[in-house]
Amino acid sequence: MVKTIEVEPVTRLEGHGGLRLVLGDDGKVQNVQFNISSTRFFEKFLEGRYCEHIPRITPRICGICPIPHHLTPTKAVEDAWGVQIPPAAYKLRQLLQNAKQYSSHALHFYALAAPDFLLGPMADPALRNVVHVINKMPEVGAMALKMMDFGQKLCEAVGGKSVHPISAIVGGMKKALDETVRDRFLKQIEDQVEWSKKTVDIGLKVVEDYWDVVANVGVVPTYYLGMTKNGVHDIYDGDIRVVSPDGEKFDYPPQKYLDVIGEHIPEHSYATHTYYKPAGYPEGIYRANTLAMINCADKMATPLADEALKAMRAKVGNVPHHTFAYHWARLIELVESIEVMATLLQDDDIVNPDCKTLDVQPREGNGVGVTEAPRGLLLYHIWSDAEGICKKANLLVATNHNIAGIEKTLMHVAKQVFDDKALEGLKLPDPWIK
Amino acid sequence: MAVKVAFMQLSDCWGCHQSLLNNHLGLLPVLPALEIVYWPAVVDFKHDSLKARENGSILVGFIEGSVRTNEDYENAKLMRDKCALIIAFGSCSCYGNVHGLANQWNKDDLVRRKFSEVESIADGSGGEPTQHMPGFRDKIVPVDEVVNVDVYISGCPPKPEGIVSAIAFLLGQKPFPMNDLAFCNDCSIKDNCLLDAGKLCFGPITSMGCNLKCTSNGNPCVGCFGPAKTVDSRAEKLNSMTKSLTSISSGDKKNLYEFLTLFLNVPLMAGFDLTSDILKQVKKHGSPSTPLANFPPTTEEIAGRLMAFLRDNPDFTEISNVCDTCSRIIGSKSTMTRVKRDYEGLPNMDDCFIEQGYICMGPITKAGCGGMCIKVNAPCTGCYGQTKWGVNQAERFADTVLKQFNVSLSKDDLLAQVKDPIGTFEKFTLASRKGGV
Repeated sequence: MVKTIEVEPVTRLEGHGGLRLVLGDDGKVQNVQFNISSTRFFEKFLEGRYCEHIPRITPRICGICPIPHHLTPTKAVEDAWGVQIPPAAYKLRQLLQNAKQYSSHALHFYALAAPDFLLGPMADPALRNVVHVINKMPEVGAMALKMMDFGQKLCEAVGGKSVHPISAIVGGMKKALDETVRDRFLKQIEDQVEWSKKTVDIGLKVVEDYWDVVANVGVVPTYYLGMTKNGVHDIYDGDIRVVSPDGEKFDYPPQKYLDVIGEHIPEHSYATHTYYKPAGYPEGIYRANTLAMINCADKMATPLADEALKAMRAKVGNVPHHTFAYHWARLIELVESIEVMATLLQDDDIVNPDCKTLDVQPREGNGVGVTEAPRGLLLYHIWSDAEGICKKANLLVATNHNIAGIEKTLMHVAKQVFDDKALEGLKLPDPWIK
Repeated sequence: MAVKVAFMQLSDCWGCHQSLLNNHLGLLPVLPALEIVYWPAVVDFKHDSLKARENGSILVGFIEGSVRTNEDYENAKLMRDKCALIIAFGSCSCYGNVHGLANQWNKDDLVRRKFSEVESIADGSGGEPTQHMPGFRDKIVPVDEVVNVDVYISGCPPKPEGIVSAIAFLLGQKPFPMNDLAFCNDCSIKDNCLLDAGKLCFGPITSMGCNLKCTSNGNPCVGCFGPAKTVDSRAEKLNSMTKSLTSISSGDKKNLYEFLTLFLNVPLMAGFDLTSDILKQVKKHGSPSTPLANFPPTTEEIAGRLMAFLRDNPDFTEISNVCDTCSRIIGSKSTMTRVKRDYEGLPNMDDCFIEQGYICMGPITKAGCGGMCIKVNAPCTGCYGQTKWGVNQAERFADTVLKQFNVSLSKDDLLAQVKDPIGTFEKFTLASRKGGV
């Protein structure tokens, strides 16, 4: 008898997803679907809007990562209109992007992922959540909350609002940081760096405890999609980089994205399946997000993070395909973001009021903007008419880059579980929280 | 006994939940009072467990998002069945939000662009996905067009303090633990006390413990940590200032709403429309007594007097708008002579955006945000929703600014210079039938 297993909804993630697994008469996996049941048609209703207003609309695509959805379309319009921004604006945007990276990665690790590891995968679903973690490990909980709070507060200070920021404008930023505000954040940096290191230590302990899981569950060779600036890890600016399953690297300027990324419209998901175009679908299915970024980078941009990267590569290799190493990669990025913020907060450009070029003129044309959002590459392609009204827009959204890769990974793991019974002897540690 | 609550997400961005989580440590006092029975973003209860619950057995249901898909529609209905009280949580739920702009097109046009036409579709695939997919409704609508809503919390997103105070209000508790000492003890600008400069600052009667954001930025304390157990010596100065309220500056008046909202834990300003809100009660029954009990007499005296002031002040008979909480000068040295686009130049931080030539939705937008956009030099785009419904919002905007602001343009010229009127005047509310005409 054909049997269908449904998980509805997949919890502790952002977005609307369900999982559907079909087993045949023989108990073997026939089909796995990752069903994303929501989309809102930004690709259409941006038409007719003022191009410079798009960054005030699109943050509403994602409330967890609205910062990249504010900055990326701004860059796309600047590209279309040929606008250069002052150095102060560039640094303020970098600061904003890294503040978001920091709070989002802390949230992801502690609130979304940690309950699985700290309570163990067999725990009571009613307790397997961050609220319970905070109750049982109040010190770690408070540290996690203070990390998220720092990132979100800095987003608010630079962006005006942490959820749905407003301070970037075509041509720069509307306002620099006040010195007193900058000083307030500078004072907290030392603690935050310490807590980031502590978080990496917790992560390493988890990796050690769950090594059997990390090394054996969902190790799936795929392509990877990320961004680097001259080969160095960068989340605000750079070129698109693709890494093949065997580690070959390909660089493309953002404007050439149509040579790189293809979209396949599946029948069972509103989120499309993206793939590396030269390799075709489904062979070219890639993964994005933290592990992909780490696999793309020749090195990290900051010393502590680069050290952490080397440690990871020593353990799992230069282009690891371990799905559970995503968490590890996330913590390396977390460390980089606090180091970048520490440097930028000491840079006087971020309090320099000369943060917007006054010479902005719309022109007919199209432009592409790319940044790396906390969950993957984010790309906006905007067509402007001579008056600066949006004629057309194409968006390749961060989470969307993960959908095909997640489905491919789910299929792999489902076969491990049901076809090969490969995970029955899997070693799990005693949970930290019992 | 913990109160059962459920959080549901329809078509949305999850930003309201991020905003709630942004309370971080501030959430800890509220959490033990809640029994979360459904919240996919955070806890692992599945859809079936919600379906299996008895009707009406959950006290409060928060619905974030608007109704785009058939699944959204079913989930809104399900929540109404299971929850005694439904809160439309955020501007998607209240008004439809920016994706409501999609209602300018037919469903088929939207589907064609997204699933067939976009430039990156590269393998000949395309068409609307239909396998195990819910299907789209013809138009996107806010939640109250599908089920009855008891409470609206607007904002995109609603402010963290507003959400927690709303929850605390429903629970009948204070959102934050109150400290023995007052804000002044921590204040970073003691030597340049705002009270000495004649500004109404509620620090002397408010609990310390916040991050001092307001005073560090030169703004007065608005009382968001609630009453302190003891008052600071400066409380008398504040008390005597409230006795001569008729002579305070407009900027100070603008702080009063925020103060009462936060301090008395009555979130009427947090976009929180509840028929029993305290200001309406005051207006109806004429009693300026406050819900405070066992607090320092000076605190009671000040809060009571401010309630009376709001009750009697004609400026506060209408729902307040963003301009009421904006510190920029109206009647400034600037005058709008043409409509500027946001990329042009850089506005100064002192004068009203409209008078500097920029379109700002402040005059027709409901207050509650505290003017966050304006503080980083970005005009309001109206995310808390309009102060009046069922009228032509573009015309109302033009009429209002021509009457009250330095604008030397005719109504026709002003409106003709706005090239995207729907995206400008109804960005957040197009999908709501309450909205424009």
